Amino acid sequence: MLKKFISYKAPQNLIVLINSLALLLLFSFRENFDRNMLISGLLFICIIYISNWVLLKWSTGDHYLFLIMSMLISIGVIMIYRINPMYGAKQVIWFGIGIIIFFLTYFVTKKVQGWEKWTIAYASGALILFLSTLLFGIKVKGATNWIRVAGYSFQPAELIKLLFVFFLASYYTNEKKLKNPYVFFGIVYAHIGFLFIQRDLGTAMLFFLIFMTILYIYEEHRKFILYNLGAASVPGIMSYFFINHVRVRVETWIDPWRFIDSKGYQITQSLFAIASGGFFGTGIGLGHPEFIPEVHNDFIFSAICEEMGIFGGMAVIMLFLILVYRGFKIALNQHHRFFRIVAIGITAMLGFQAFIILGGVTKLIPLTGITLPFVSYGGSSLVSSFAALGILQVASEELEQEENHEPRIQEDC
Amino acid sequence: MNQESKRIVKVLWVMGALFIILVVYLSYFEIFRASKIVTNNYNKRQWLNEEYVLRGQIVDRNGKTLAYSEKIENNKQVRKYNHGRLYSHVIGYSDKEYGKSGLESSYNNELLNINALNPILEITEKITGPKEKGNNLILSLDHELQKYAQQKLGNNKGAIIAMNPKSGEIYAMVSKPDFNASTFKENWEELVEDKESPLLNRATSGVYTPGSVFKIITAAAALQNKEIDTEYACEGSVNIEGYVLRDYQETAHGEVDLLEAMAKSCNIAFSQMGLQLGEQKLQDTAEKFMFNRIIPFDLKTKSSIFPSKGIMTKPELGASAIGQGKVLVTPLNMALATSAIANDGVMMRPILVKEILSSEGKTLKVNYPQALTRASSSLIAREIRDMMVEVVTDGTGTNARIKNIKVAGKTGTAENDTGKTHAWFTGFAPAEDPKVVVVVVLESHGTTGGKSAAPLARDMMIQTMNRVK
Repeated sequence: MLKKFISYKAPQNLIVLINSLALLLLFSFRENFDRNMLISGLLFICIIYISNWVLLKWSTGDHYLFLIMSMLISIGVIMIYRINPMYGAKQVIWFGIGIIIFFLTYFVTKKVQGWEKWTIAYASGALILFLSTLLFGIKVKGATNWIRVAGYSFQPAELIKLLFVFFLASYYTNEKKLKNPYVFFGIVYAHIGFLFIQRDLGTAMLFFLIFMTILYIYEEHRKFILYNLGAASVPGIMSYFFINHVRVRVETWIDPWRFIDSKGYQITQSLFAIASGGFFGTGIGLGHPEFIPEVHNDFIFSAICEEMGIFGGMAVIMLFLILVYRGFKIALNQHHRFFRIVAIGITAMLGFQAFIILGGVTKLIPLTGITLPFVSYGGSSLVSSFAALGILQVASEELEQEENHEPRIQEDC
Repeated sequence: MNQESKRIVKVLWVMGALFIILVVYLSYFEIFRASKIVTNNYNKRQWLNEEYVLRGQIVDRNGKTLAYSEKIENNKQVRKYNHGRLYSHVIGYSDKEYGKSGLESSYNNELLNINALNPILEITEKITGPKEKGNNLILSLDHELQKYAQQKLGNNKGAIIAMNPKSGEIYAMVSKPDFNASTFKENWEELVEDKESPLLNRATSGVYTPGSVFKIITAAAALQNKEIDTEYACEGSVNIEGYVLRDYQETAHGEVDLLEAMAKSCNIAFSQMGLQLGEQKLQDTAEKFMFNRIIPFDLKTKSSIFPSKGIMTKPELGASAIGQGKVLVTPLNMALATSAIANDGVMMRPILVKEILSSEGKTLKVNYPQALTRASSSLIAREIRDMMVEVVTDGTGTNARIKNIKVAGKTGTAENDTGKTHAWFTGFAPAEDPKVVVVVVLESHGTTGGKSAAPLARDMMIQTMNRVK
C-alpha cells in the first residue's frame, strides 16, 4: 500500500513532489514564516492528489487531461504566489471551486441526455449574456466585458465560450434537419460582433478560430470555408484603418520599441523579462517579473520565462501541445457525434487561447489580452476552463451511440 | 480512416505546428535577440544590478584613474569623473535617468561584470555569492596627451586624434564643443537643444567634407590604375561641362606630375585624374579605405560617405576627386586612412580599450593589434608617403615641419554649406618609421588647413613622440 503511495509510476505523485519542493522554496524565499501559505500550500497539494485519485476511480475515460491540468495549475499557482501571496491564496481557493465545478459539470453532462437538441437555447443564452454585458457591464482595462452580480464580478464571455462550442456542435449534429446555413453564420458573426463592440479582441479572434476549425472539419459545402475567410478578412482589414485600438495592437506588434514609454510599454517590459531569464531562468524569486504590468494575469508566461527560463516556458507550451493532442485523440475515438464535435471545439478553444496569449506576450503575433488557461490568475477564466475540462472528460468516455447515426469508424481504419 | 478523421488529424497538425513555431521562435529570440534587448535603457533590471555591483574603474595607459565609483550610505554609489570635460565624448556618462553614453554605454556589461547568456557562469556565481565589483578598463589613451590635445584645440569646434599607425592604439581623441560629465544633468535641456551639438562625438561621428585630404585616396586610385595619365598642365582653373573648378587663389601650377600636384594640392590635376578614373574605380579605392563601411570600434561610429549611386555627372566626379561635392569623412576614418599609408598599406583596427581587468586585477581580455583591411599595396603606400613628405618639406604643409624629423602630411581646406571652410591636416612622423598619426579638423574655421591645422598637428606630433617612446 505504502509502496504504491510513493511510487513514481503514479504521475500524480510526481506532481505532489514538485509542489512540495516549490512550497519549500517559497518558504525560503519569503523571510518570515507565513502560516497562510503553509495552509493553502498543503490544501493545494491535497486537492490535487485526492481529485486525481478520485477521478481514476470514477471515470473510465482519459486520465492524462487531468494530470496535464494539474501540472499547469501548479506552475501557475507557484508563480502567482511568488508574485503576490494574496493572489496566490485566492487562486488556491479558486482552484478548489474549479475542481468542484469540474466534477459538477462532469456529472451533469453525463447524466443529462439530449444536449444535442438545444441549438436555439445555446444561441439565445449567449445573446442574453451579451446583452446584459452591454447594459450592465463595467469597464475594466479598456474592455467592457465584466458584470457584477451580488458583489462578485465575472466575465460572461467565459461562459459564452462554452455555449458557443455547444451551439456549433449541435448545429452540425442536426445540420440535415436545420438546413439553414445563413442564419447559422449570422448567429456566429453576431457573437464575434458583440465581442468586437466590447473591445475584447482576443476573445473575438478565439471565437473565429474555433468556428473556422469546426467549419473546416464538418462543413460539407467546402466553398463556405472560403466565403467565410473572405467575408471575415474584409472587416478585419478595415478595422485596422478605422478602429484605433486595433491599429495600436498592430503598430506595437511591428515595432514596440518606438512606443516604449507609451503604448508599447507592456509588451517591451514582457520582452525584457523573457530576455533576462535566459535558457535556465533566474530562479524563482530572483527575477523581477513585478516590472511587467498585469503580470499575474495576461503576462504570467513572461514571468515563468524570466524565473524558470525559456526551458520552463517551453515546458508550458509542451503541456498545451499534449493537451491538444489528447483532445483530438478523444475526438477521434468518440462515436457520439455531438460530443465528438464538442471535444474538438473545447480542444481548439483551450489550444488557440493558449497560442493567442503565448504568441502575444512573446511578440510572435499582435498582443490581445486574454488569459492563459489554468495558469493565469482569475476566477472566471479558471472556472470556465475547469467546466470545459469536465465536459472533455465526459467526451473521453465511451458514450451510447444516439440513434439515426451511422457508425463513423469504418473497418478499413 | 474516413474524411472527418483525416480532417481532425490535419487540424491537429496545424495546432501542433503553431506550438512548435512558438518554441522555435522563443529559442531564436533568446539566442539572437535577447542580449541586445536586455541592455536597453528601459530595462529596469540593469539599474538593479548597478545598485549592488560597484561599477568598475577606467584608467589611462599609465594607470591614471579617469572614472571611478564610490560607495555612499545605503549601499548606493556615485560615479565620479575627475577631469571635467576632458573625456566627455570618450568615456561619456552613466546616469540612471539619462542613460549612458561613450564607453560607459558600450562597455556597460564589462564594467558591471554582467554575463548575459552564460548560464553556467551565472549559476556558479549565484552559488558563490553575489559579485560585488565590476571590471576595470585600461584605455590606450594617455592622460597628458589628451589634456594637451584639448588645450591645443582651445575654443575651436572640431576634433583632434592622435594614434599609433602600427598598432591602432589611440593616444588622444578630443572633440569640441564638449560638456562636463559630472554636471551635465543640470543643463541637460540646453545640451540637447544646443545647435552646436556638444553631445556629438565629432571624432567618430562627425561627418565632414574632406577637401584636399581626400587626394591621398585619389592618388592611391591613380597609382593603382597605371593607365591614368598623372601629368597635367595646370592653368589655375578648369571648365568641366560648364562648371568651373578653381585652384586655391587660382594659382596656375603649370606642368605638374603627381608628386608636385600633391605637394601643391593642385585641384585641377586631381580632378582630371578623377575624370579619367571614372566613378567606379574611385569608389572602389575609397571603399578600401573604409568609406561606406562600418568601422569596428569601441565607440559608436558613423560611416564616411562616397556617393555610390553610380550616376555621377562629370562635374560631380571632378569635385569628388578633390574631396568636395557629396564626399564626407569622419576624422577617425581619416586617421585610419593616414595610418594605412604610414603602415605600408595595412589599416589596423582602432583600439581604445586595451585591456579588461577583473576587480582583483586578473586580466580578462586584451585587445591585441589586429589588421582591419589592406587599403593599398605597400609600394603605393610608400609612393604616397614620399608625396606627403614633399607636402611638408616644400608644399602646402610647411607649417608642420619638425626640426631633425621628417614629417609626412596633407592639408585640406574644405568648402562646405556653412560658408566657412573646414581646416584639415592629417599626417605622421617620423616618415621613415612612423610612431604617430595625427588628424586635426577645425570645423567652419574659415582658414586653410596649412595655416591653422598644420601647426596644431605639428605640436601634437612632437608631444606624442616625446611621451610615447
